[in-house]
Amino acid sequence: MAAAAPKGRRPNPRLDQIKRTWYFFRRNSLAMIGLGIIVFFMIVYVYAPFYPAPGTSLQTYTASNGQPPVQNGPFPEICTYQPGEAPPAPNCYQTPLGMPSVVGPTVGVSPAGIGPLPFGSLTLNPATTPFFNTFAGLLKGTDWSISISVGIVATGALIGVLLGVVSGYFGGIVDETIMRVTDIFLSIPGLLLVIIFLAIFGISVQSLELRILIVVAAFVIIWWPIYARIVRGQVLVTREQRYVEAARASGASSGRILRKHIIPNSVYPVFVQMSLDVGTIPLLIAAIVFIGFKVFPTNAFPEWGTMTALSVQSSVLESFITNCQTTMGSCIIPWWQFFFPGFTLFLFAISVNFMADGLRDAFDPRLRR
Amino acid sequence: MRLWIYIVRRSLLVVPVIIGVMTITFVLISALPVSERLEATFGTNPRVPYTPTVPCSKLGIDTPGNCTNPIYKAGIDKLGLNQPVPVQWAVYMYNSLTLHWGYVGNASGLAGQIPLAKGQPVTTVLGWFLPYTLELAGLSLAIILLISIPLGNLSAVNRNRPIDQGSRVLSFSGYALPAFLLGSFVLMAAVLVIGGPSGKSPFCAHASSYFDLYGSWPAIQCWAGSTYPTWLKAGQVSSPTGFPTVDAAIHGQYWVALDTLVRMILPAFVIAYGTIAVLLRFVRNSMLEVLNLDFIRTARAKGVPERSVIKKHAGRNSLNVTLTVVGLTFAGFIAGFPIIEVVFGLNGVGRLLAYSVTLTPLDFGTIFGTTILFTIIVVAANLTVDVLYAVLDPRVRLG
Repeated sequence: MAAAAPKGRRPNPRLDQIKRTWYFFRRNSLAMIGLGIIVFFMIVYVYAPFYPAPGTSLQTYTASNGQPPVQNGPFPEICTYQPGEAPPAPNCYQTPLGMPSVVGPTVGVSPAGIGPLPFGSLTLNPATTPFFNTFAGLLKGTDWSISISVGIVATGALIGVLLGVVSGYFGGIVDETIMRVTDIFLSIPGLLLVIIFLAIFGISVQSLELRILIVVAAFVIIWWPIYARIVRGQVLVTREQRYVEAARASGASSGRILRKHIIPNSVYPVFVQMSLDVGTIPLLIAAIVFIGFKVFPTNAFPEWGTMTALSVQSSVLESFITNCQTTMGSCIIPWWQFFFPGFTLFLFAISVNFMADGLRDAFDPRLRR
Repeated sequence: MRLWIYIVRRSLLVVPVIIGVMTITFVLISALPVSERLEATFGTNPRVPYTPTVPCSKLGIDTPGNCTNPIYKAGIDKLGLNQPVPVQWAVYMYNSLTLHWGYVGNASGLAGQIPLAKGQPVTTVLGWFLPYTLELAGLSLAIILLISIPLGNLSAVNRNRPIDQGSRVLSFSGYALPAFLLGSFVLMAAVLVIGGPSGKSPFCAHASSYFDLYGSWPAIQCWAGSTYPTWLKAGQVSSPTGFPTVDAAIHGQYWVALDTLVRMILPAFVIAYGTIAVLLRFVRNSMLEVLNLDFIRTARAKGVPERSVIKKHAGRNSLNVTLTVVGLTFAGFIAGFPIIEVVFGLNGVGRLLAYSVTLTPLDFGTIFGTTILFTIIVVAANLTVDVLYAVLDPRVRLG
């Protein structure tokens, strides 16, 4: 009996459901591991802006090629010198003999006391381009990657949920139109549409902030139809439920039914899809950068996908392999250049996947066993 | 409903999708500057550039100053750019539907990289490069089905046993590992394994093992006269069919055919990996659902051997889900080709697209042509899946 509920503690079904979901989520060990890694990334996310990028003090030195160092935003260049030579600046990193331009993790210990490079250096092309601090890049990249992904997914989900709810609830010609449009968008390979959009609208934009906005917009265009589909399917089920019928019978307006009953009860699958997609977007950005498209105006942009893609581009691979085959014995494969960024990308995507899987099981009572 | 009526009905649904996709490309191409749009549609004009006015001397008139550009005006008239937008749309639709997809530029980055394609119609160039991609897609589709269906069934039958956990790990890592990274690792590992300590490949005495594995065709040094045979245009496109293994076999060079096929196996596995990851989970879950149904219990109760129950009763019924998921993931599968073809240096449509969007000046004719082509492939694949679905499951036709 409702009257039996103690005074001052009104039953809150929404809270109860969250508690129940958490109970089932907690029992899934993979999901908890995923959540743990995500929490770790969140801590890094909060910490990253306060991290003093090692090398911001390097602005005064002159690099070994005689050029003043280029300051590429928050992704500082490293200056290097060979073991026999004199350091060109007080805080430059010594490079190993075999590969004249590669600083491995903790190898090139700085004489000036800014410490070894924990994750080594990242180069875009060992012959010509400068070196960047992988650790600093990954740290700063946490902010950029997660912000961009969350921005895209949140905007896409907002548009998708709105259109999906309208489509599912009102039905008829509205539903038919919206669903045909999603059909069209879903049959174009998404990556291609993003590339075209960027090629037309983004390529001439040199301002970093504006370019990021264009990247987000390009991804949102391909991302909303998935959410619209999911929500529509869910709304079709929800609107036939008894409680919606009861609300309608008691004279609630369409807006109130949508706000209070239909939307809260149809968005759970969207959360699952959203958490999956947050991990996918850095992978897609990486893929676009990999085929050679300049997603961001500078190649030295600290974003996980960009860092990973640039470190394994075929020209880079080829030069390393050729080097290895000609100088067998003193050959260094700079594994850290693709391992650390690639592993970060992988770790983020897989932990998000674990979490999404756990969420799906916890939300869906049929899968609980 | 008869099957053919269903097929006709389903095929008619393709028409609005194709029109919609072309409308989207129309909107995007309209955002281009007029000169670039004219260049993408009619090809580069070597004598007079597509600008509103050109120096009169270029037109052969011996007067100083600027004249209005007749070619520019003619192009605008032809595309209806001085007409209202619906007319422009209609002209664009007519051109697209009649396969007039524009020209590869003369001075674009793509033409610099692939001289063969310079100034050719986009459809012709796509026709050269599509067969390789189709062969690769067919091979990887076969790998996808051959791995994910048996493995999915196996992990459903052995639920929560080591094989199920193993396939779960495979599936999760497939979601999270980007294809280009996996491809690069595989390529590097293969090079280092084949290359051996001497750094020379056992297959080809002259080339490095990297070039022995990289690209569609054996390294140029490996050919007897160090030039490609006549049936291989510029070392990129084969004739007469365009399908590389078929052509090599037609010309009697069986080791080339074998080599080409071997070169496709690694990329095909890498492409397949991502889709296997998705498919595996769905096959497993649908198999689990089917295994709990009554008719399986009946089959077991009447003494049908367990192998037959799994294979014939349950396996056939979970096939529908496999088909559906293949259809749903096909767009993602196709979008993976530019990446893999760049990683392994294969001469397919994907690499064409990669060149046209990355090498400046961009080649918009090819970009839009490739997009429409990929979309048509996806739509056709979805149509095939739906028809197969109806063939496998009569209830679909009735409903």
